[in-house]
Amino acid sequence: MKKNKRGTILVENVIFIVLNILFLTILILFLYRQGNGAVIFEQSYAKNIALLIDSAKPITEMKLNMEDAFKLAEKNGIDRKDIVKINGNVVTVKLSDKGGYEYSFFNDVEVTTYPDVPSENNYIIKINNYN
Amino acid sequence: MGIINNKRGDKILSVYWFAVLLIIAGGIFGMVYVFYGTPYDVREIEARVLTNQIADCISYTGRINSNLILNGAVVENNNFLEQCHLTFDSTEWEEEQFYFYVEMYRLQDLDKSFLEIEEGNLNLAVSCSVQENKEQENLATCLKDSFYSLDDANNQYVIKILTAVRKAEKNVKI
Repeated sequence: MKKNKRGTILVENVIFIVLNILFLTILILFLYRQGNGAVIFEQSYAKNIALLIDSAKPITEMKLNMEDAFKLAEKNGIDRKDIVKINGNVVTVKLSDKGGYEYSFFNDVEVTTYPDVPSENNYIIKINNYN
Repeated sequence: MGIINNKRGDKILSVYWFAVLLIIAGGIFGMVYVFYGTPYDVREIEARVLTNQIADCISYTGRINSNLILNGAVVENNNFLEQCHLTFDSTEWEEEQFYFYVEMYRLQDLDKSFLEIEEGNLNLAVSCSVQENKEQENLATCLKDSFYSLDDANNQYVIKILTAVRKAEKNVKI
């Protein structure tokens, strides 16, 4: 009887501890994924780039460090040159194959964007002229 | 009897602990979802940048743009948006998301403006008057600023600028 009782207590405790560890692991993974999600980065970089363009005058070249974005894009199979696109006065940042995030700017300028040399983790934003 | 009671107590305790864990997990999931689901609100910065652009266009290095005021007189037929290299149309939005209102006063007559320029979505002007009483995130973010400048004939002016940026759907959780 005593042996059985001890066995039951041990199994219950082990299950309880395993479930607790499982629960904590899922929680930590959820928090990590939320903080490093493509949606968050896409929004942050698109707004950042739009505000940079709004503040800039023609004949300006800006280098924006996008190390986190490059890592995420590589993981999701997105080419570096396809990350930032400018269509008219709308910036689109795409870090996954789910469409990307758009944000518009009001400065009526002609902008070109392209990634820096592969060894650098920058994106180059070039303000050429007023439209 | 005592042993049976203890066993029941243990089971109840385990269930209670799991219930507590589930409640905590629910709370954390909810908080994280709300935190990361709320967009970054950059409208105040955008309104500040727009105000600076307009101010630079009206008066660069302290002198009023001669396309606006020449020898103390207003130059007619201004296409202000084009002159200041601003574009409020966008494929992203059906309606314009920006508005600004500029008033220019002569320093000797601050009661009556002698030049007013208004561009963008006029409906946003209403948001600014509502915002004055109580801040509403869903409405446009408004910013007021003023500065002093001189024209080519050294006449003195006070320029007041009101800017409004809407873009609520992209900056506030609605």
